[in-house]
Amino acid sequence: MTWYSGAGLAGVAGTVGDVMRDVRRVRRGWHWDTPRPRSWPERGAVVPDRASDLGWARQEPVRTIRFLIQRGLLLPFTEAMSHPKVEGREWVRELERPVIFAANHSSHADTSLILHALGDRARDRTVVAAAADYWFKRPLLGNIVSLFLNTFPFSRTGGAQAQLHSSSQLLKSGWNLVLFPEGSRSPDGRIQEFKAGVGHLANETGTPVVPMHIRGAYQIMPRGQKLPLPGPVRVRIGKPMSPQADEGSRQFTARVEKAVRALALEPSQPDIQGTWIERWQALRPRELPYEDSNEAVVVQPAPKPPAPRPILEVLPQSEKPDAPARSAAPRPRASRPKRR
Amino acid sequence: MPRPGAVIEVDRNTPPVLFHFGEGVRLEKLPLGARIVYPPDPLEPIAHAERAIKRALAKPLDDDPLKSLLRRGMKLTVAFDDLSLPLPPMAAPDVRQLVMEEVIDMAAEAGVEDIHLIAALGLHRRMTADEIRHIVGDRIFSTFWPDRLYQHDGEDPDANVYIGKTSAGEDVTLHKRAAESDLVIYVNLTLVPMDGGHKSMSTGLATYRGIRVHHNVKTLMHSLSYMNPPDSELHHSCIRQGQLIEDTVRVFHIETTVNNHAFPSIANFMQKRETDWTAQDQAMFLGMKQFTDLAPPAFKRNVFHAMRAPYGLTGVHAGQVDAVHEKTLEAVRNQISVRVEGQTDIVTIGVPYLGPYNVNAPMNPVLVVCMGLGYLFNFYRNKPVLRKGGVAILTHPCRYEFDAVQHPSYIDFYDEVLADTTDPQEIETKYELRFAEDPWFRQLYRKSHAYHGAHPFYAWYWAAHAMDHAGDIIIVGGDREVVHRLGFKCATTLEDAFEMAEQTVGRYPSVTHMRMPPILLADVE
Repeated sequence: MTWYSGAGLAGVAGTVGDVMRDVRRVRRGWHWDTPRPRSWPERGAVVPDRASDLGWARQEPVRTIRFLIQRGLLLPFTEAMSHPKVEGREWVRELERPVIFAANHSSHADTSLILHALGDRARDRTVVAAAADYWFKRPLLGNIVSLFLNTFPFSRTGGAQAQLHSSSQLLKSGWNLVLFPEGSRSPDGRIQEFKAGVGHLANETGTPVVPMHIRGAYQIMPRGQKLPLPGPVRVRIGKPMSPQADEGSRQFTARVEKAVRALALEPSQPDIQGTWIERWQALRPRELPYEDSNEAVVVQPAPKPPAPRPILEVLPQSEKPDAPARSAAPRPRASRPKRR
Repeated sequence: MPRPGAVIEVDRNTPPVLFHFGEGVRLEKLPLGARIVYPPDPLEPIAHAERAIKRALAKPLDDDPLKSLLRRGMKLTVAFDDLSLPLPPMAAPDVRQLVMEEVIDMAAEAGVEDIHLIAALGLHRRMTADEIRHIVGDRIFSTFWPDRLYQHDGEDPDANVYIGKTSAGEDVTLHKRAAESDLVIYVNLTLVPMDGGHKSMSTGLATYRGIRVHHNVKTLMHSLSYMNPPDSELHHSCIRQGQLIEDTVRVFHIETTVNNHAFPSIANFMQKRETDWTAQDQAMFLGMKQFTDLAPPAFKRNVFHAMRAPYGLTGVHAGQVDAVHEKTLEAVRNQISVRVEGQTDIVTIGVPYLGPYNVNAPMNPVLVVCMGLGYLFNFYRNKPVLRKGGVAILTHPCRYEFDAVQHPSYIDFYDEVLADTTDPQEIETKYELRFAEDPWFRQLYRKSHAYHGAHPFYAWYWAAHAMDHAGDIIIVGGDREVVHRLGFKCATTLEDAFEMAEQTVGRYPSVTHMRMPPILLADVE
């Protein structure tokens, strides 16, 4: 008999009794209240589960739920707390291919500030690399953070191959990736040395890196502080950088680090942020502001980025951010030789 | 086909006429035989503004095509009018944005790396970032703000240079960046004949030293009217200054004109003649009347200032300043000119909620005078609509209400200067320099969003001609104490005002109502 079968209070009481009986049976069967019986055989070696990459967080309807949470809660809160001033948004307005966002890291507020700085279109296609040994130590916390920010566990200790395993698959499946190449939050707000992972990942996958600098996040929520304080923030976005043909991972990482450090300087840095002509071209509207069927006005298309390397279909169709657009046209193989 | 402007004589069947009343509206019955001057209907806008702009830049007047003037390595400055034009602010996209986007596209194509965009404020207040974004559009704002898109500062000694003196001994100053540029492109929006031409550069990018030579009582008293440049001493002075500027720096002028479609559909009844009002317009009027009667002033103001005008581009001309401005004036007159026969004993004008100097702020009493007697009274050619010694009747609540951020010097002007005298000449002699050089007003002008310390004086001088010309000035519905401080008379109703006016102009006076806005230019014969 089930509790909803119409037997009223007696039915509910009966169901509760059934559940309690089952619990009691299990407790006695496994001796919850006594040590492991000596008569039992030796415990076998623990076989760890395969690390989850939280694929559920990148599928519908979770994406829609996250969109609502971010638009209704996270972004208004970020705006109210810090009034972020964003420079260089034109570089992430119309991304034609996945990129790695490489930013300095001084606060837990950095992630929400970066997501705020990206437009809706780019944000919806962005995953955040979160330290596996910090955020995913407790699975519940990891899942909640993933629901809010679309994070995935990124091993800080597992070596280059372990990093590549999940990150490169995400990039190849069309997701942008937010990385903090310093590895952990700065203890004093100053930029620390970048680890070579970002260059390695970019080099292996042929993905451009967008340098970003966040100023003011350390004052909002420095290391060790539990609650954020209001304060002004500036997020500067540089133009995308691609590894050159003869450039190694460490050299490219050094170049990205230099770019992020340059973005911290005043005034603006045309080398990193682009000249006004480049930014103007990046902001060229895609559609004409009026319709005219009789006489077409020719609009020059935006300059295309260098040909990307092939993108492999590695994730299920439902996990891809823009599946139809992405699979419509096969991408040509770049002429640059693959480096190992 | 849009109808031209009209003068209608009030008879028994004429409906009551709309009077603007600050952030409110009124319907008033005018006496039999009175005249109502209506502006022309809005002209048809150009269908494809972008194409018209491209054409104008490719085939300029008395100048080379813009493309041929741009080259790699040059220093290019683009200056543009501030938010005092047009009124109400234009619904996006602003025509200045469309023009500047074309210009910048050409500069990018030519590889011009050194380009700056300057908002030509003159002594007006600095705009907020959002206000600038509204004028220039997102694309320009994102690309250039704040390093290469900024606002003129007429009090920055390092950012302005002295050019020299004109043949009439007028000082000429200019923004340093503009003076040092290989080419200055000025993007203008001309709503009324007073704007544009040489006045754009000679006031927009000048300092107090360069502006005071024509913004003074003597010049303005000889500008009859400054809405008609050939009869305006103000414009003659600006032309002399502009010619000297042209000798110093290469200027390419782009002027745009818009029609007089000043109100969005929600306030369409304000755009129409009362004889054209439909039942829907009458209902909209009643709704707005009740709303403006009941709502608190600050709330009403927010609603009114949020209105954006659906202006349409009617002309765009580019090239040499004089050649361009001649065409521009012709286009403006086509839109706003109305033939009016003879002068009148009494002229009535409804003063609206908005003037050039109170965008996003209340219209303070000094600005009511500037708007009613400075601007609206001066919309004439040949002769004023009002005869010499006649009575000007304005309708406005005229409250003691100032915006402390935008108009700090206006508060002192009202409290200190007008308490002493209302005579423009005396005010100029005794007070102007002290206000202009006041370090606090200077600081607020440079760093906050305040008008220059000398600006309330100019607002007052603007009305000097009307105050001299009119025998009496009555403000209907105004706060009695405030109106008396301004030196005028106060009436509760329009009928009372007519009674009071009869004491000045005699029994059975002729009455003319100027139904503005939308603006009109009375061509008085």
